[in-house]
Amino acid sequence: MLILIKLSEVETELNFSILVDYFDMYWDGFKATLMISFIALIASFFIGAVIAVMRITPIAPLRWFGTAYVEFFRNIPLLVIAFFFYFGTDALGLRLNGFTAGTIALSIYTSAFIGEAIRSGILAVPKGQTEAARSSGLTYIQTMRMIILPQAIKIVIPPIGNQFINLVKNSSILALIAGAELMYQADLISSKTYVVFDVYIFAAVFYLIITIPLSIGVGQLEKRLASSN
Amino acid sequence: MISFENVNKYYGDFHVLKDINLTIQTGEVVVIIGPSGSGKSTLLRCINKLETITDGTLMINDIKLNDKKTDINKVRRNIGMVFQHFNLYPHKTVLENITLAPINVLGVSKEEAKKTAEYYLDKVGIPDKASSYPSQLSGGQQQRVAIARGLAMKPEIMLFDEPTSALDPEMVGEVLDVMKALAKEGMTMVVVTHEMGFAKEVGDRIVFIDQGKILEEATPAEFFAEPKEERAKVFLSRILNH
Repeated sequence: MLILIKLSEVETELNFSILVDYFDMYWDGFKATLMISFIALIASFFIGAVIAVMRITPIAPLRWFGTAYVEFFRNIPLLVIAFFFYFGTDALGLRLNGFTAGTIALSIYTSAFIGEAIRSGILAVPKGQTEAARSSGLTYIQTMRMIILPQAIKIVIPPIGNQFINLVKNSSILALIAGAELMYQADLISSKTYVVFDVYIFAAVFYLIITIPLSIGVGQLEKRLASSN
Repeated sequence: MISFENVNKYYGDFHVLKDINLTIQTGEVVVIIGPSGSGKSTLLRCINKLETITDGTLMINDIKLNDKKTDINKVRRNIGMVFQHFNLYPHKTVLENITLAPINVLGVSKEEAKKTAEYYLDKVGIPDKASSYPSQLSGGQQQRVAIARGLAMKPEIMLFDEPTSALDPEMVGEVLDVMKALAKEGMTMVVVTHEMGFAKEVGDRIVFIDQGKILEEATPAEFFAEPKEERAKVFLSRILNH
């Protein structure tokens, strides 16, 4: 009850002038978040697919690399990876801005999860598919690319969709390395206006503008692929 | 020509194939029969290296299969394989299933691959199914597509691993008819099957295998009239008289 009352108070008190006055900053942040998410989504998908194939290849060193990659990046916080690419590369004389460092960190971090999802999909494709493809003379890589991965990815669209949604939300971490994205802009607006709650509520709405269509899109894709079978 | 010379295969401690000596001539139809778990499918799968042999020599024409320098993908171009569970690619149409290897392995043009595919689809009796997906076909139709897929590579050898075992009884005939026609055209065929009628009618030679050993090799006439080995007699009486 108390929460409800509070919520309704907040709603009535939401200060829309902040949204109007600082719309340009929100908009810049929104565009940056969208850009970062889009790049990281594509990059993490391809890196993930390569890592997944590495993890199941008969070539031992590649398999070890794939396993090490997944276990390492999956088990440390995204923020640490982001700090490494932002501050750590600086120490190596490679100056990456917050946007670049953050996008790389986000891609690498997410690819570890996507790699695991795709690997489980590959393992779910019946062995006879590989046998049929290899016995017709296709190479291992051709078999993966043309026969196994398309079927595996179809199987793992729901978990990959979740990873993509997480990716968009995780991009907020970039605020801490001057990624100039939505959360960073919200922080700036908040420090300028001394308003906390309303500023972040509006930020949340901008996140929803990305994640809700993404969520619906993944659902649609899942439906379409299911019916094509 | 396929030749096994003192071939052995182990799965860990399990001795699957024991001292196999077998030569299959070009144009010959060899039918491998035996109880389940006898190693007959394993023997067949060694021919295109889906299984590797532990020792001995396995030659396809003049190429040694168990040699690190042998490019297995090149050897496999020449050997078609048909599986018990068809193993068609479910995300590709019938036409794509058949043209995929010719285009990507042989480097044939799309138009030519399509023509070849249509020719073989016609041959296996389902010319109108080119744009269907495998899931829209009956088991018998799927297996005929699988045969067409193998043939489209224009292989010298075709391997059949229990091609009718997963089919409804009424669809067995249509698949066997395609195989019979193929045998008559002089294709080299190695067939693992429980279809004794097919073995009798089409086989040039029967190979009876049990517990990883070839117990008997004979023409179908000899083998079915009077198997020499006791184990073969028992096997035949069990599958023929029920």
